[in-house]
Amino acid sequence: MSPRPVLVVEDSDEDYQATLWAMQKLERTDLLERCTDGDDALDRLSDRAQSWPKLVLLDLNMPGTDGREVLAFIRSTPYLRSLPVVILSTSASERDVNDCYQLGANAYLIKPVNFAQYTEQLRITLDFWLGLAQLPESAEGP
Amino acid sequence: MTGPDGQGRAAETPALSVQVARLGEPADLTNCDREPIHIPGSVQPHGVLLVLRGNVATQVSGNTETHFGLGVPEVLSGGLGALLDGETLARVQGALATESLNDNPLYLLTTPVRGRGLFDLIAHRRGQQVILEFEAARPGRPPVDSYSQVKRSVARLNATVDLTEFAAATAEEVRRLTGFDRVMVYQFAEDGTGTVIAEDLRGDLTPYLGLRYPASDIPQQARALYVQNMLRIIADVTYEPVPMFARQGEGVPDEVAAPLDMSYCVLRSVSPIHLQYLKNMGVNASMSVSLVRGGALWGLIACHHTEPRHLPYDVRSACELLGQVASVQISARQEQRDQSYQLQLKTAQTQLVERMAEENDLLEALVGSGMNLLHFIDTPGAAVCLDGEVVLLGATPSRAQVTALTGWLDTQADVDILHTQTLGELHGPAQEYAGRASGLLAVKLSHSRHDYVMWFRPEELQTVTWGGDPNKPVEVSEDGTDRLTPRQSFAAWQETVRGRSAAWQTEELLAARALRRAIMAVVLRRVEELGQLNDHLERSNADLERSNADLDAFAYIASHDLKEPLRGLHNYSVYLLEVYEQQLDEDGAAKLRTLVRLTQRMDDLIDSLLLYSRVGRVDLSFQPTDLNNLMADVLEVIAPRLEQLNVQVQVQPDLPVLTIDRVRVGEVLSNLITNAMKYNDKAQPQVQVGAILPDGRAAHPDLRVPDGVPAYACVLFVRDNGIGIREKHFENIFRIFKRLHARDQFGGGTGAGLTIVRKLVERHGGQIWVSSEYGQGSVFYFTLEA
Repeated sequence: MSPRPVLVVEDSDEDYQATLWAMQKLERTDLLERCTDGDDALDRLSDRAQSWPKLVLLDLNMPGTDGREVLAFIRSTPYLRSLPVVILSTSASERDVNDCYQLGANAYLIKPVNFAQYTEQLRITLDFWLGLAQLPESAEGP
Repeated sequence: MTGPDGQGRAAETPALSVQVARLGEPADLTNCDREPIHIPGSVQPHGVLLVLRGNVATQVSGNTETHFGLGVPEVLSGGLGALLDGETLARVQGALATESLNDNPLYLLTTPVRGRGLFDLIAHRRGQQVILEFEAARPGRPPVDSYSQVKRSVARLNATVDLTEFAAATAEEVRRLTGFDRVMVYQFAEDGTGTVIAEDLRGDLTPYLGLRYPASDIPQQARALYVQNMLRIIADVTYEPVPMFARQGEGVPDEVAAPLDMSYCVLRSVSPIHLQYLKNMGVNASMSVSLVRGGALWGLIACHHTEPRHLPYDVRSACELLGQVASVQISARQEQRDQSYQLQLKTAQTQLVERMAEENDLLEALVGSGMNLLHFIDTPGAAVCLDGEVVLLGATPSRAQVTALTGWLDTQADVDILHTQTLGELHGPAQEYAGRASGLLAVKLSHSRHDYVMWFRPEELQTVTWGGDPNKPVEVSEDGTDRLTPRQSFAAWQETVRGRSAAWQTEELLAARALRRAIMAVVLRRVEELGQLNDHLERSNADLERSNADLDAFAYIASHDLKEPLRGLHNYSVYLLEVYEQQLDEDGAAKLRTLVRLTQRMDDLIDSLLLYSRVGRVDLSFQPTDLNNLMADVLEVIAPRLEQLNVQVQVQPDLPVLTIDRVRVGEVLSNLITNAMKYNDKAQPQVQVGAILPDGRAAHPDLRVPDGVPAYACVLFVRDNGIGIREKHFENIFRIFKRLHARDQFGGGTGAGLTIVRKLVERHGGQIWVSSEYGQGSVFYFTLEA
């Protein structure tokens, strides 16, 4: 069984690039897997042949199927329901924040413009979810 | 002459003649309107009436013996020749043949008849009959110069200025001419009632001026007769009527014996009811001259005398002439009066319309001081009901009664103008206030709401004094049967006029209609203006909603779509700096650092804009909040920066409790305090926060509270010893992104802070303003109460 990745759902190449830089800066070697839009993410997650991600970093606003739909799909699909999902969004809108928690997001983070801040935010996030938190096994067991 | 019906005469009836029967039953008040007074079948006794057909005498009054010493049969058989001697006979016959006598009694001459003294001989023609009246004349009386008498009177009448004065002069002139004890001028109203509008009388008599008489006092057929024949005289009300006798026999047509039409006869016997009427008033002789306007009886000149009085023909004709002159004059004066009332109505209407145009408030225009509805139509009371408001003017029913009245009016036929003289009969509750509003003239202003203009007229009974004693008991006649006497008519009549007002004149209805049109025009214009305003508002609202939606969309775009590329720019710049800084020269590296700073600045601006866009729309949560408590929280949050900048903050210890949104007011205070410490070049920045309670304003003479801040508002302030603001910028500082300083001076704010503060204060219903001395420091004042 291949190692379980951190799934980054992100349509912006620049933002994904920044994530890669930040990972590099943080000297983290976690396996990152990227989906460039919502549909891509739905395909990836529906495919049971592929491994169950450790964590989903989900961008909210994407063209086509957006993050809310991806989140709703994860929470309404028994196989995926327990997957940890952290929303990463530019939007600070209260409505977006509330909607996401309603839909079952595990956390909601606002992407800062400042790179240093983002790096720090990513460090804490990954330290917590990949280091501190006890994650569920795949729905189908190890 | 033994009885009122002349029955005693029957025994003396000569074979040649038959008594001319009176038609119908004896008249009383129930039938006096039908009493055939023009064919009474009898005459007054002070003269002899002779009817001729050609040279044949067909009828004669039964008093020939008394006056001429010649019996009725002799007169009937002998004709005129039996009475007049040759020369006089010739003159009379000549006059009868040549003069125009149709319906126009003409004085022929004064002559002795059969040596029995002087008689005035008056003749007129009625169809084929010539009617001759012999009136006993007083011997030795100088003839009256009617022309000069009337000329003088007319000159006097012409000099009067109005109808009232004119009527008074008429009464005086007629009394001067006739010597009657009392001369009155009556004016008839449309309903037939008569009012004494002028009077001249003997000093010891009770004046009747202003008295009003029921219409029944002068029955319809009498009125008709009064128009035909201008003058009537009763020489002695106690007279016994003298019956007429007609020729009978072979070759005499039946109609000869028919009762004579005495419409134009001066000797005509009058109704016993009228005689009773006069007796009741203590009058023994009377004369009346008709005042005719446009073919209708306008009024009467009524003369009364306490003693019997016979007025000679020449004086009567002077009076008649005066009556004709007066009739013409009265028409003119009445016209003048009507015109002046119409002019008043018109003027009032113009003024009201002008006021409605000027005055924003329609109600105020209609009922305000000066010219108002009461000056418009001549009534003692008026009311306006408009938009749920009821305004009463003068003598009116109560507000509740008027409101109830509008409810009733709403149920009436859909007419614009409604008027009645008998409101109580139509609207039961109005009987309670008949004294104020028996007459109603209502103008409907809208078809959907209870909007009316109303005028009220009181019950007429209360506005006039009635002639006679309405309570006089029924008189019992000699034969023991009850008979109504004229005065008894009052009681019955009073009942019929109870709850009735004076009539509404055609001019008044027209004026009301004109006023309605004017009001409707104003109302319609207002509605139109309001409609336009509404449309405008709706458009503005729609625009506003659209701009809000746009702002929402913009905010969202700003937060996301702008920030994403911004983040890209920033991140790449940072990456370039980190990875390639060593390979760039200092200039290149500096430019990259600037790029990073610019992206951060743009990020700040976008955040401020987002915040600002939200301030106006978030729902505030108002709670009574202790400001002391709130200040402590605020200071705790910004404590690190205060320490860093070595700022001293003094907070007044007893701040009030206000009903506010705690979080937003916290933002306001925090923002103002942060500004105070940021824009400060002193070594020891000082900030004071405090409150000026409403009753403490006097202690702050420098406090200039802007318009619209209520006296009860608590004024909060944040004072600093900072750089101060020039007065010309006092307003600028509150405008979004309007900065007074270079971007990076004083900590480099975005310029949205004070704009957001002002918006938050305004959302609390308060105001914010600044007072500052440049270089010395500033004070920001604000209130949180509207």
